[in-house]
Amino acid sequence: MAEIDATGRSTREVNAAIRKSIAEGCTAITVLNPEARHNLAVAILNGVHVRIAGSAGYYCGGLGDGASIEVDGSAGWGLAESMLSGTVVVRGNAGSGAAAALRSGTVVVYGDAAARLGVSMKGGEVIVAGSCGYMAGFMAQKGTLIVCGDAGEAFADSMYATVCYVGGQIASLGTDAVLSSMESGEIEGLEATLSAHLPADLRRAKPAAADFKKVVAGRKLWNFDKREWRIWQEAL
Amino acid sequence: MCGIVGYFDKTGADHQPLGKVLLRMLHALACRGPDSAGVALFRFPQPHQLVARVKVGDHRGSASRILDVKAMGEKFGGREFTQQGDYLRFTLNDDGDLRSFVSSVESVAADVEVVSVGRRLEIVKQVGSPSRLEQSFGISGYQGGHGIGHTRLSTESVVDLSHSQPFWGHGYPDLAIVHNGHITNYHQLRRRYQQRGVRFYTENDSEVVAIFLADKLKRGITLRAALESMITELDGSFSCLVATDSALAFVKDSFSFKPLLYTETESFAAVATEEIAMRAAIPGDYVVREGRAKEVQIWQR
Repeated sequence: MAEIDATGRSTREVNAAIRKSIAEGCTAITVLNPEARHNLAVAILNGVHVRIAGSAGYYCGGLGDGASIEVDGSAGWGLAESMLSGTVVVRGNAGSGAAAALRSGTVVVYGDAAARLGVSMKGGEVIVAGSCGYMAGFMAQKGTLIVCGDAGEAFADSMYATVCYVGGQIASLGTDAVLSSMESGEIEGLEATLSAHLPADLRRAKPAAADFKKVVAGRKLWNFDKREWRIWQEAL
Repeated sequence: MCGIVGYFDKTGADHQPLGKVLLRMLHALACRGPDSAGVALFRFPQPHQLVARVKVGDHRGSASRILDVKAMGEKFGGREFTQQGDYLRFTLNDDGDLRSFVSSVESVAADVEVVSVGRRLEIVKQVGSPSRLEQSFGISGYQGGHGIGHTRLSTESVVDLSHSQPFWGHGYPDLAIVHNGHITNYHQLRRRYQQRGVRFYTENDSEVVAIFLADKLKRGITLRAALESMITELDGSFSCLVATDSALAFVKDSFSFKPLLYTETESFAAVATEEIAMRAAIPGDYVVREGRAKEVQIWQR
């Protein structure tokens, strides 16, 4: 267990101190007084646990591969962007572009996520206990996107094979996004995922798994023929 | 880039260390905009009295220029003149014709500009960093109830005092804005206003936001309706903070292109481009969230 006080240190020095602690065999690191600075705990390539004791700025946990990162406060733009594997948990709210281009691993937000959540995600799980802004899941390719609260406009626009679940209202579905019904065993799977990643009291306050809406790609854009003008008219 | 900040005290006490809070917030965002820095402070009003801040010239103004501006100010009952950097600050009675005051003072020379007028509002801005703003004007000593600030990264227009932010809603007392983003139908809007005789002082697209809002408020449209109309009438990216004598507000464009975070507790509301600004200036336990696309928030006294 190592404690790194960010006060008076540059972010480069804080991240270097995290790496040094890992090299020394430390498996749990706490960063004190982060004060919402950017690029904290980026590109950590092993299974260490990093707790940010406060808020984080942009790109926290981005490009990581295997670390487990916990943010006590809120996170700024690009949380866990392009993460390859690992877990990022934010107790507060997340800024725009959280879990963008996520490759694998799990991103959990106890509060709300802003715009462009999980755009172009290529795998992994994104779980937001609150609501999310517009265009979540845009061009998402694989993985699972779960929003327990309300979803903003153009939800799940132009997706490939990501599966989305929304517990609240969807302001509007994006191009080629369609509602679908859950297959057998899927409700239990969703419940297991939510229970595994959300604290029990937070989980209880959210809709039952059976009440979630499932959204998938309508697959109309998968084999898009540019001469089909009706699709163009719908899409633009 | 550009960094914008705002602070609104909810306890009702006017004697808050407003300048100190805004300066700390700006310091934290200085790297987002090294070209210029400025604040619009809303201080405690004197009854029936306006404060005018006038830029006396592009290069500090000669002694004779200052006398000319002062003489013109005196014609409108101006008194308590003080000179600070490029500014002449004075008070005047709140009963005259503001439009004729502004045009008369500005008729002294082409590079004279009334930077702000208000019962509470004072805009202090200049080229350089927030630290330089503090060195020149000692803004950390200013008290007040609410205010906004800006650090500028110039992308389209020149770097000088007039092109710096905040912008006053020219001709409308106690209205100030700061803007992060780019108004893409700026030229169209500018032509529309110029055809109606509105003067533009700069080639900064953010100026049109101040002119747009001053125009709406002059027509008796509510602040909320004016901010909502920005979302449909202005194109491009904007996270804007707007302050009047009794309110702090923000509005975001339809796509949430630019960041803007806010927090609210029982005693204050704060808004900034990055949370880092709030954590640097305001201690304590509070939850920060990002504004949504098309979101309008108003904190009113």
